[in-house]
Amino acid sequence: MENMVSESFKYMILGMGIVFVFLYVMVLVLQLQTRLIKKYFPPKPPETGNKPDGVDKKKVAAAIAAIQHHKNFANK
Amino acid sequence: MKKSLVAALLLFFALFAGQTMADEHQAATHSAQKSIEADHYENHDKSMGQLLSSFYKTTGIFAFTNPKEGVVNGEGEKVSMFHQSWGRVIMIGITLVLFYLAIAKGFEPLLLIPIGFGGLLANIPMANMTSDHGFLGVIYNAGIANEFFPLLIFMGVGAMTDFGPMLANPKTALLGGAAQFGIFGTLVGAAALSQFTPLFNFTLQDCAAISIIGGADGPTSIFIATKLAPDLLGAIAVAAYSYMALVPVIQPPIMKALTSKEERVIVMKQQRKVHRLEKLFLPLIVLGLSILLLPESTPLIGAFAFGNFAKESGVVDRLSDTMQNALINIVTILLGLGVGSKLAAEKFLVGDTLGILILGLIAFAVGTAAGVLMAKLMNRFSSEPINPLIGAAGVSAVPMAARVVNKVGMDEKPGNILLMHAMGPNVAGVIGSAVAAGVLISIFN
Repeated sequence: MENMVSESFKYMILGMGIVFVFLYVMVLVLQLQTRLIKKYFPPKPPETGNKPDGVDKKKVAAAIAAIQHHKNFANK
Repeated sequence: MKKSLVAALLLFFALFAGQTMADEHQAATHSAQKSIEADHYENHDKSMGQLLSSFYKTTGIFAFTNPKEGVVNGEGEKVSMFHQSWGRVIMIGITLVLFYLAIAKGFEPLLLIPIGFGGLLANIPMANMTSDHGFLGVIYNAGIANEFFPLLIFMGVGAMTDFGPMLANPKTALLGGAAQFGIFGTLVGAAALSQFTPLFNFTLQDCAAISIIGGADGPTSIFIATKLAPDLLGAIAVAAYSYMALVPVIQPPIMKALTSKEERVIVMKQQRKVHRLEKLFLPLIVLGLSILLLPESTPLIGAFAFGNFAKESGVVDRLSDTMQNALINIVTILLGLGVGSKLAAEKFLVGDTLGILILGLIAFAVGTAAGVLMAKLMNRFSSEPINPLIGAAGVSAVPMAARVVNKVGMDEKPGNILLMHAMGPNVAGVIGSAVAAGVLISIFN
């Protein structure tokens, strides 16, 4: 029988080498991909939580006024 | 109307009776040719006593207590007297222990219950369920002997895997590679032990099939074992799934021994948000790389990539849902029963099994250690802090290993959530062990 240990040692070098090359190339490709996607498909600007102005502001103003009104009455 | 119905029924019975008579006739000539020595086929009058005693000889009690020379199993191999009697009893005991572990301790119940029950059925005397025409034998030949079921499982795992955490920090994928040292380090160790000590007597193929347990990936282990060492399949599968279930017991001591307190409390940076397109392209990139570098690994990686692509495409939710649930459940049942058929006493109660269990445990521990050490190294040289604990998640065992990392991290520093950071190496470990499997296949083909 040939020397199993030296044989398996070669397999180890080959195996770990290929696993690392594979993952390393994958990491490089993924980093490149991230950069490309950022460049050509930039993330949409974050939507502001509020709906378009006007209506909302008016409602808020009305709500504040109502609360103030209520408080005023409560104090009397 | 009634008349025609009666006529149809009569016709049916007539045909049926004719058919059975023909069958009986065939069977009679068949058995007459085959067994002249089996005189009970001859039709002569029997007394009640004779009937009872011949019935007794067909009971399990008789088979367990009166082992015979020259009994063959489903594959036509001779079964020793020990394996016919006590061996079967011990194996049934072992399957009961598997049930206990699965039910009371929650060890991988989805696999240990079907595997254990398959093992129970495989050890029934006379029923010969593991033969080519037996219940378990049919399942084994349909999907395990040809490596089909593990691939279907891999497809489902692909459909369940979210690569987001790995994409957010691709460098951590290298940790999933380091943990594969468990496979190759054990390969060398097993070869050395087989060559220089009388302890084990494994061939290089056997060593490779055993050391793949260190990849902590059930379907990959089964895939490789069927290809390289089918006789050891039962022990390898049981070892792989048992150790995966024991991740929370095996890993923490190794992780703590190899890291300092300061390293364990490292807080990692919040992960960035990953674009949908990145997730969509990932399975194609992984598959593309394996096509270019290692086509031998494409059955595993191809199935995995297909599952993941179906999930991330977002337009075939029905298919992806089936792969993640219905299909993987069905295949798990069949895979478990088929693997269980290799728990027949004459296959499992051999010296090799003990060696496999020990070497598998070493492989697992070495993989964990290699991952942690690699993470320590990366932390030393990286601009962003990396908690070395996440290296332990490089053995695949998704998502158990990542959860264990998270728990150890939380024990050291409450609120330090490492789960998502550990998922990166974890899913990369799945790819890593599939690549390692491809290398082993390409070597031995």
